[in-house]
Amino acid sequence: MAEWTGPQGLAMFFRSIASRLSLWVLAGSVLVLTVADGLLFYRVSEQILEKAHGEATALAHEAGNRIEQRLARVADTAQTLAVVVGARPDSAEVTLRGALARNADLSGLAVAYVPVADNPPVSPFISRQDDDSLSWRDLRKDNNAYWDKNWFLAGLGCSQGCWQRHFYSQSRKREMINYSVPLSTDGHPTGLINADVSLDWLSRILKELGKPTGAYAFVLDESGAFLAHDNPAMVGKRGQASLLQALASQQASRVRLAVAQNPQAHGKPVWVYFVPIEGTHWRFGLVMPESTIYAGVRQAFVQALLLGMFSLLALALVTLGVARRILTPLGMLTSRAEEVARGALAFALPTPRFPDEVGRLTQAFDRMRTELALHIAELTRNAKEQQRLASELDIAHQIQTALLPGEHYLDAHCENFELHALLRPARAVGGDLYSYFMLNERRFCVMVGDVSDKGIPAALFMARTITLAKALAPRARSPQHLLSMLNVELCRNNDSCMFVSLLCGMLDTATGELVMASAGHEPPVLCETDGVRLIELETGAALGLDDEARYPPRTLRLRPGQTLLLYTDGITEATDTDQQFFGTERLIACLERSSSRSASDLAGGLLAEVDRFAEDAGQADDITVLALTWHRDLVDGSALMLDLTIQASMDDVFDTLDRCDTSMRDQDVSPEVRDDVRLVLEELMVNMVQHGHAGGADRKIELHMRLDDAAVSIELHHDGQLFDPLQAPMPPLTGDLANAEEAGGLGIHLVRAMASELSYSHDEHGNHLQLRFLHPARSEPDNDLQAER
Amino acid sequence: MTFRLNVENESPNRTIFHLHGRLDAQTFNDFDLAMLDELPRIPEESTLVLDLSELVYISSAGLRSIARIRRTMRAHNGHTLLLNPQPQVRKVFDIVKAVPVNEVFANARELDAYLDLMQRKITGEEPASNL
Repeated sequence: MAEWTGPQGLAMFFRSIASRLSLWVLAGSVLVLTVADGLLFYRVSEQILEKAHGEATALAHEAGNRIEQRLARVADTAQTLAVVVGARPDSAEVTLRGALARNADLSGLAVAYVPVADNPPVSPFISRQDDDSLSWRDLRKDNNAYWDKNWFLAGLGCSQGCWQRHFYSQSRKREMINYSVPLSTDGHPTGLINADVSLDWLSRILKELGKPTGAYAFVLDESGAFLAHDNPAMVGKRGQASLLQALASQQASRVRLAVAQNPQAHGKPVWVYFVPIEGTHWRFGLVMPESTIYAGVRQAFVQALLLGMFSLLALALVTLGVARRILTPLGMLTSRAEEVARGALAFALPTPRFPDEVGRLTQAFDRMRTELALHIAELTRNAKEQQRLASELDIAHQIQTALLPGEHYLDAHCENFELHALLRPARAVGGDLYSYFMLNERRFCVMVGDVSDKGIPAALFMARTITLAKALAPRARSPQHLLSMLNVELCRNNDSCMFVSLLCGMLDTATGELVMASAGHEPPVLCETDGVRLIELETGAALGLDDEARYPPRTLRLRPGQTLLLYTDGITEATDTDQQFFGTERLIACLERSSSRSASDLAGGLLAEVDRFAEDAGQADDITVLALTWHRDLVDGSALMLDLTIQASMDDVFDTLDRCDTSMRDQDVSPEVRDDVRLVLEELMVNMVQHGHAGGADRKIELHMRLDDAAVSIELHHDGQLFDPLQAPMPPLTGDLANAEEAGGLGIHLVRAMASELSYSHDEHGNHLQLRFLHPARSEPDNDLQAER
Repeated sequence: MTFRLNVENESPNRTIFHLHGRLDAQTFNDFDLAMLDELPRIPEESTLVLDLSELVYISSAGLRSIARIRRTMRAHNGHTLLLNPQPQVRKVFDIVKAVPVNEVFANARELDAYLDLMQRKITGEEPASNL
C-alpha cells in the first residue's frame, strides 16, 4: 500500500480489483458489525433499564423508609410529650428540654396553650441554637398572638397529630417544618405540642443516602413544591408539570422526564423513582440520569465495536494481500492484451500457479494469442490474394472495355446516321456487350447482348461472343444468319450452359433499311418525333442453348429523325428500394419525356433516369443502352432498283439481265458500270444455272439491286449447290486462251476482277453473294444518251 | 440487242467476220453454229479477222467461242486477228489475257500494215510502198 500516494495513486488504488474487494469487504463487515452491535445494544439496554428500575426503586424505598423512620421518631416524641405534658403541664419545660436532648433531629419544641382561664399562663418554647445550646421563650410574650395563627388552629384540628406546612422561622432564620399534636382535656383541645425540624435536616438526610453517581434525591410536599433537594437551589420551587402529573396518577412509581428540571442534570433525560413517605403527604424522589443507567453497557459496546473494527481492518488488509497475489497475473494479462491490441503477439505469459479461474484464463489467453497469430497470418494472406484479384479484375476491366468500340460513332462518310452507346457493368467486369462495325462500304452491323449471369464467367463469355461475332459477321449475309452462325459456335463446348441474348441489326447505310434478328433479347424501342413505341419482334432462343435455333428477321425502314434504342435488361429490371422494376412503361415514358431525340441525349437521359430510380438500391445488373439515330432523308424509290426472284433458267437469267440493264439506265448508271454489272451477273447466274442446279429443276435465284451515290449494290441468293466464287482457283492465264484445251474459271475470274466488292456466304438456304460496283460520278442523262449512241 | 454476224470474204486468204451486239452465254451457241458453217469454207493458211467494232459486250462464253475459232484456225495453219475491240470488250480481253496483244488491232490500218508485214515475211519480198 505504500506505493499508493497522491490523488493519482488513490485513483489507481480504486482501479485495482484487490483494493476495491478489500474495501468493500471492510465496508460491508463494518456495516454488519455496527448494525448487529446496535441491535444487541438495543436488546441489552432494555434489560439494563429493567434492572436499573429495580435497583433504583429499591433504593428509593429504602431511602423513603429511612426518612419515614426519622420523621416517625419526631412524631413519636411529640406524641409522647403530648401525653406527658397533658398530664403534668407544670413540668412541661423540663420535659421539653429532656426530649430535645435525647432527639438530635429536633430543632425546637413548644407547648402552646389556648389562652383560656384554666390553662397555664405560659406557653414555653425551647429551641436549639446553632451552638447546640437550648433557649427558652414564652410564646405568649411574642408580639404576634400565635393562637390566631394557621399553624396553631390547624394543629388543634388534627387530633392524631400531623405535619404542618413548612414555614420560615424569623427567630432562627431558616426554613422549618413542624409536627403538631393537640392537648386535650375532656375532649376539648386546650393546646398543642409543636415539634420543629429544620429543612436542612431533611436535606442532610437526603445527602446521607447512598446513591449512585450522578443520581440525586428530593422530597416533594403535598403542594408539589420541593421540600428538600440535593440541589439547594431547587428547594421551594414547584416540580415540573410532567412530574406532578405522574405523581397525581398515584399508580406509577417512576416516570421518565425527557428534560430534567434540575440544572445539574444538564437537560438530559432522567428517570424519577418516587415513594410516598408514610405519615406525611410527602413524596420521596430519586432521580437517575439515563446516561448513568446506560453508561456501563455503552462503554462495553463501544469497546467491542472498536475491537471489531480493528479486526475487520486486519481482515481487509489480509483480503487485499491475498486478492492482489491472486490477481497479479490478471494485471500482466491486461498489459499483454494491450500489446495484442497493438499487434505484438510474441511475449511471455506468467506461469499459472493453480488451475483456478486465473490459471485457466492465462492458458486461454495463450491459446488465443497463438490462434490470433495464425488468423492474422491467414488474413494477411487473404488480403494479398484479394489485392491480387482486384488488380487482375482491374486489368480485366480494361481489356473488356477495349473489346467494346467507342461510345460515339458518326457515319463520317455520308453522315447518314449516328450511334451512341453506354455500357456500365455492375461489377468490375460484366456480361453486357455492344458492338458495331461496317461490314462493307455500305452495310453497318450493330448488336447489343446480355450474357446470363454476372462477373468473370459472364465477362469471358461476353469476350467470346463479341470476338466470334466480329469474326463471323463478314461472312453473314443477314443478322439472322449471323445469329445462327454465332449460335452454332457458342453451343460448341458450352458445358457450363451459359447463354447470351443478342439483338443484331444490319443497317443499309444508304437506305436506312434495318434488318434485325433477336436471340431472346429485349425488344428495341423506336423513338419518333411524335411518339415512342416498342418494336415487337419474334425472337429465337438465346445463343448457346440450342444449336438448331432459328432467328426470324424483321425489317425496318428508318426514317429521318428516328432513333432506335437497344438496351439490356439492366434497364428494365433495375429495382428501387421497394423491389419494383423500372419496367418497359417507365422506359417508354422516360423516352417520351425527353425533349431531344438525339442518340446521346436519349441514351444519357435514360441512364440518368434509371440511376435516379435505383438510387438507393444500387446497380444490380450490367446496363447497356445503344441509340442509333437515322439522319438522312432519301428520295423514295431512288435507291431500290430491283427485287427479283427468278427460276434458275437461261431465259430468265437473260431476261433479268435486260431488266437490270434497263433499270440501271433509268437510274443514269454509266454504261461502263452497267456492262460490268451485266457481265458479272451473267457469269454468276449462268454459272448457277449450269452448275448449281444440284440435280433439282426448280432452283431459284433471288436478286436485289440497290443504288446509292457511290455504288450499285447487288445481292444474289441461290438455293442450289454451294459454290464460293471467292474460293475458285485462278484459271491458267497463259496470254492466249486458245492454248488451253477448254478454258474454265474464266467467268469467275472476270467476276472477281470486275466487282468492286464481293462477299460470299452460304447457309441452309444456299449461296449468298453480295456485290458492289462503284460509280463515283454518276453520269448525267445527256451524257448517258450520248453514250448510248 | 442480240448477236448478229456478217461474213465478208475480202480475199481468198482473208475473211472478215463482223460481230454485232452481244456475245454471251445466250448467243455464243448461235455464233458457234455459224462458225461450224463458215470455218470449213475458209481455205488453209488464210487469215480470219474478227471485226469487234460493233461488239458491245462479251462474256466468258463468248471468249470461249473466240478461243475455239482461233484453235480451229491454228489447226488449219491460219491466223485469227482481232480488230477494233470496244473498251468494254477490250477490258474483258485484258482481264483474262485472252489473246496475245500483237493479234489485236485498234483499226484497219494497223491491221493492214501487220498483214502486209506478214505477207512479205512469207514471200521474202521487200516491203511494198503501199497496198
